[in-house]
Amino acid sequence: MIGSLAADLAMAAERLARSTVKIREGRNGIGTGVIWNAGGLVITNAHVVSGRSVTVETADGRTFAAHVKVRDSARDLAALVIERLDLPAVPMRPGVIPRTGELVFALGNPFGLTGALATGIVHKVGPVEDLGTASWIQADIRLAPGNSGGPLADAQGRLVGINSMIARGLGLAVPLAAVAEFAARFSG
Amino acid sequence: MASTLETFSNDLASAVEAAGRSIVAVNGRPRTPSSGIHWRAGIIVTTNHTLQHEDDITVTTLAGETLPATVAGRDPGTDIAILKVPGLQIPVSEPADAASVKVGHIVLAIGRGITASLGAVSSLSGAWRTWRGGSIDSFIRPDVGIYTGFSGGALIDAAGKVIGLNTSGLSRGGGLTLPSSTVSRVCDELLQRGRIARGYLGIGMQPVRLSASISGLIVLSVEPDGPAHKAGLLVGDILIALEVTPLHDTGDLQTALSADLIGKAVMLHIIRGGQTADISVTVGERP
Repeated sequence: MIGSLAADLAMAAERLARSTVKIREGRNGIGTGVIWNAGGLVITNAHVVSGRSVTVETADGRTFAAHVKVRDSARDLAALVIERLDLPAVPMRPGVIPRTGELVFALGNPFGLTGALATGIVHKVGPVEDLGTASWIQADIRLAPGNSGGPLADAQGRLVGINSMIARGLGLAVPLAAVAEFAARFSG
Repeated sequence: MASTLETFSNDLASAVEAAGRSIVAVNGRPRTPSSGIHWRAGIIVTTNHTLQHEDDITVTTLAGETLPATVAGRDPGTDIAILKVPGLQIPVSEPADAASVKVGHIVLAIGRGITASLGAVSSLSGAWRTWRGGSIDSFIRPDVGIYTGFSGGALIDAAGKVIGLNTSGLSRGGGLTLPSSTVSRVCDELLQRGRIARGYLGIGMQPVRLSASISGLIVLSVEPDGPAHKAGLLVGDILIALEVTPLHDTGDLQTALSADLIGKAVMLHIIRGGQTADISVTVGERP
């Protein structure tokens, strides 16, 4: 059974990696993003992109110039547009709020690594003390700053949230519903 | 068809959901609640170190119902406290067979709210005694993330059964789990007697250093008609060892005086007037 667990995780991670990108701004500042739709829309954290233009690197090693379309600092989300992007949109899991205890995994670019995988479980879904009333997917998972803007996915590799920060050792991700609401505001 | 990983993920979430019904938030300290487990009907077990006051304690169920609770007993030795909560309508937790637990088994730590972290059993060994003198049936160290509300929560197996009560109050190196058998034993003894029996000599003392390598406990007071008084111990005697256990500080003596010694004669090695001597004392029970 362990063997098929490992194979399933590898497959889900590989599928998710195709829709996960590395985002660079200037000389330092490395974050992660997800390809939201086939129109070349990429979602990341607002704190990953402070200016108007950034560089996006796809999993197959290509580099694109991207234009920052919208930033929402309150929910820490940003949308970038890349022309002529031919990569698949991230698979999503809409509608169902993740259950406490279910497996999740993250892909990102922490500590200079590219496409690094972290695994964990959902610790809780809901507001976080001292962070207002917004709901977060709080995950028992080891993340680092380079994970910012990257995907948190379920056991099938479907997006459930965008990793945004670390608080008291927990990874906090903006739930997919809030990300979709943000994207719907301008993508129509 | 669901993949193995998906099935495993669903099983974990279901284990948390099932066991989580027996978990409450314990409001017994300022700001941050700790966790508690519904152990026997109307009885919540929690950690003693997280109960910072005895009055106005309440528990909150997962459904959001808050009920008043009274402290029915506390044992600093094992860091276990029990609360009586009349009218508690949630399921009682289901204990796991602690003997079947192995290093490497997948476990979840669950706490109030409901919150969960995943890991494995990291280290296991036999019966041990805490630094506060409590006796624990087995040492269980889980490799799990320790977050707010960990203490007083449950370590559960992949089937959702409770391996034990989690506490971060008994070791510096992180959290550990008090096995269900110990929790049940302490819970029942606290319910019956309100406290845990401990051995007792009836002396006041303080540590003294006699040379670079020898230290002991000097007797400052002897309670009239107490066990030490009956054995002829005098103020000024210096206790060096109880049987084979060296006594460097008062905690050493408290730890050595376990409940199983009550009513039994033990040998105290002492220094009196510069001479070593052995005195037999029949251990009493701490009033």
